[in-house]
Amino acid sequence: MSTSPSRRILVGIGNAGVTVLDLLSVECPGMTGLLAVNNDPDSLNASIVRDKIEVPEGDPGEGFRVIDDEFGRNVEGASAVILCGGLGGETGSFLLPALAIRAKSAGLTTMACVGMPFSFEGKHKRDLAERALEKLQEICDAVVVIGNDQLSGGSPSIAAVGEAFVLSDRTLLAALLALTGMLSTSGPVKITRADIHHVLGKPGALTHFGFGKAEGSNRLHEALERALKSPLLTPPGKGSALKESSMILLLLRGAKDISFAEVQAVVGKIEQIAGDSCQIKVGVHADGPLGSALELYLLASSGGTVRKPAKTSESNETGEPSSADSANSPSSRIGTIGTQLPQPPQPTGEEEMLSGHIEGAKGADELFPVQTKPASKSGKKVAATSKQMQGTLALDTYQRGRFDKSEPTIVEGEDLDVPTFLRKGIKLNPPTRK
Amino acid sequence: MANEQIFVGLEIGTTKISVIVAEARAEDQISILGVGETPSRGVRKGEIVDMETVTECVREAILDAEDKTNVEIGNVWVAITGSHLASFNNRGSLTLRGERQIEPEDLEAVEVNAKEVAIPTPNTFLHTILQAYHVDGNQNIIDPLKSEGALLEADFHIVHGIKTRIHNTLRCIESLKIGIEDVVLSSLASAQVILSQDQKNYGALMIDIGGGTTDYLVYIDGAIRHSGVLALGGDHITNDISVGLRLPIARAELLKIEEGSASDPVSSEGGIISLKNDPRFLGCDVDRISLETIIHLRVKEIFELIRRDIESSGEGMMDLIRGVMITGGCSKLKGIAQVAEEVFDIPVELTRARNVSGATQIFEDPQYSTAIGLTKYARLVTKNIAPESMLDRFTQGLGSLFKKRSR
Repeated sequence: MSTSPSRRILVGIGNAGVTVLDLLSVECPGMTGLLAVNNDPDSLNASIVRDKIEVPEGDPGEGFRVIDDEFGRNVEGASAVILCGGLGGETGSFLLPALAIRAKSAGLTTMACVGMPFSFEGKHKRDLAERALEKLQEICDAVVVIGNDQLSGGSPSIAAVGEAFVLSDRTLLAALLALTGMLSTSGPVKITRADIHHVLGKPGALTHFGFGKAEGSNRLHEALERALKSPLLTPPGKGSALKESSMILLLLRGAKDISFAEVQAVVGKIEQIAGDSCQIKVGVHADGPLGSALELYLLASSGGTVRKPAKTSESNETGEPSSADSANSPSSRIGTIGTQLPQPPQPTGEEEMLSGHIEGAKGADELFPVQTKPASKSGKKVAATSKQMQGTLALDTYQRGRFDKSEPTIVEGEDLDVPTFLRKGIKLNPPTRK
Repeated sequence: MANEQIFVGLEIGTTKISVIVAEARAEDQISILGVGETPSRGVRKGEIVDMETVTECVREAILDAEDKTNVEIGNVWVAITGSHLASFNNRGSLTLRGERQIEPEDLEAVEVNAKEVAIPTPNTFLHTILQAYHVDGNQNIIDPLKSEGALLEADFHIVHGIKTRIHNTLRCIESLKIGIEDVVLSSLASAQVILSQDQKNYGALMIDIGGGTTDYLVYIDGAIRHSGVLALGGDHITNDISVGLRLPIARAELLKIEEGSASDPVSSEGGIISLKNDPRFLGCDVDRISLETIIHLRVKEIFELIRRDIESSGEGMMDLIRGVMITGGCSKLKGIAQVAEEVFDIPVELTRARNVSGATQIFEDPQYSTAIGLTKYARLVTKNIAPESMLDRFTQGLGSLFKKRSR
């Protein structure tokens, strides 16, 4: 980690947030600018994070007033604050938006990285989480939302409960690393804050996130494959969510020898999946020691402001795992309930789940007007950008032809499977068809 | 050894699999009895990617060779290539206790010492080729045996590669119940029939451009100084044409063979090449200058990569090379010698197997250089070793046979 302590502060809030910061400290020892905030003294005492703020137990509103000043002192001088935690609990759901407002009002770039509760955690938690998320998306410059239900691939019944939470924490950690990496300005190729805001700043949007890590000569392909396998990028039974995104953030982090050709190859591959109209913003952090593993992070979003009203929603979104996004019209809401009925009971019991869905749908209805307003506007905007982009992207789309699927021949940092004339940018006369 | 006088060379190439059956003649000479051949499938850039298909192709090629030569093939010499192969030069040294005569065991010990270097864990040694002996600082002694000294040193050219990939080739052949005499670096095999002893002494670079790989080898003062494999070859030229002129691969390959030229398009006659339509392809007109640009850039790049690799492997090495010999299927490309001359700035010759006898149409074709070279290599290596000791040495592993100074 090469980010200087004063530049950005990572704040872990609530049990989930503190756990993630602990994981982070283990993963990247020596990382500074971490702050743990919790109302559970046991959790705080056990944490290895150095800077801690203990929130008095009891009413979170009262608690926030107590820590307000201390938090303000801690984030002073920073240029960005990234808040991290799980939504749904009393602490996280209240403190995350409250601290976001506090940071934002201090003039800092404020981002959040949050986990949404599993459906088996009950409707109360979900409601709280959704309201908090709505607020967060209003306040923050960027919000990464990790849907725990989607994460477990829509089949939480198979995974052990403990494993599901570990996976959730790990994914939050990766998302946090992705955000910090993208914010950090140390790499030779940068992602700007405007790009992050463009992708993650849309209220009501679904976040698509994937990460992969690999080493060895085929590291790039393996890392990309792992990233694309993430259920948040490629929901089981559906195509890649990248197709629905207008902009994708790609961060590569690893050894100094990450080559131009490798970056080129990964961008080409993502372009293939996402389509030409999608913009890909690339950040490269090639500052690790030689031989260190290559980490690849992909962040994108869909829906939210881009979504069109009721008409298309039925075909597109009935199967969406998150209840907040299903059921935009009464008819599709009934459809959702109908399809859910015959399934085997979840841990919370059939009845509660059913009501959960109705409540969830209600929540969606409340959110709906907020989402539809900007929909048509930015929908047009996206179409316009995609048209603009096509011309420039054609230059980047290198062709490997028959070597597309074989191990690349990389010599002196160049992918030599790509025709020489293309790499040298030499123009040819196209053949004339008869 | 079923038959001491017959050597079989097997090359599993990217384009074709060839089996050369040759007979030993007097004075290190060989005579080719025949060749078995099948188009290769399941090989990419010189490496096996589909074991089953390749095994089937090898079986066909072996049967073909048996048919044509009436020789039952029991053991083969196998060529190996691929971009995973790497090489370096290293010196081994051995202090002799008190001044005494150098014994054969000392020569072995000094080789072991030279091999005591760290190579990546997945790799294994393929060849340890002697360059020269030095006794007490007395340079370049050809045969140090029985001479007296206190310090024996030896320079070796060491070739290593990824174990599993080498094993793939071996497994494929063993599954056909065919024995393997030894595994030989492709360029080392080719060089045996491409370079004369004079050329090896004066300093020569041999380049074997095949379908999937380009293998090269540098001889200076009669010893190998450098070797390398680039996973680039004729397939890349075909692919470039296919991408650049938007032609199907098969049509691009045909165009390369019929009309292709590596010469600088500046001197091109220009004009249009008219491609006729066939059942799978609507005809089109192709600009000749575009075609030649595509090929020229690729071929030039391959030579430039080789030149840079040689320059970076040893200071002044390029200056000690007096000539370039080009062979391999791709050397049939028009104008390739001029491009090489431009890049290396020394005389270039297109060549094929020499100093062999037998069916002329086989050794006159540069695409068989490696397979023929294998049989020549076999002839040279087995000459000095009694059959029984060969068996002993065979158990020691890959490449262990080649202990004698390579010729």
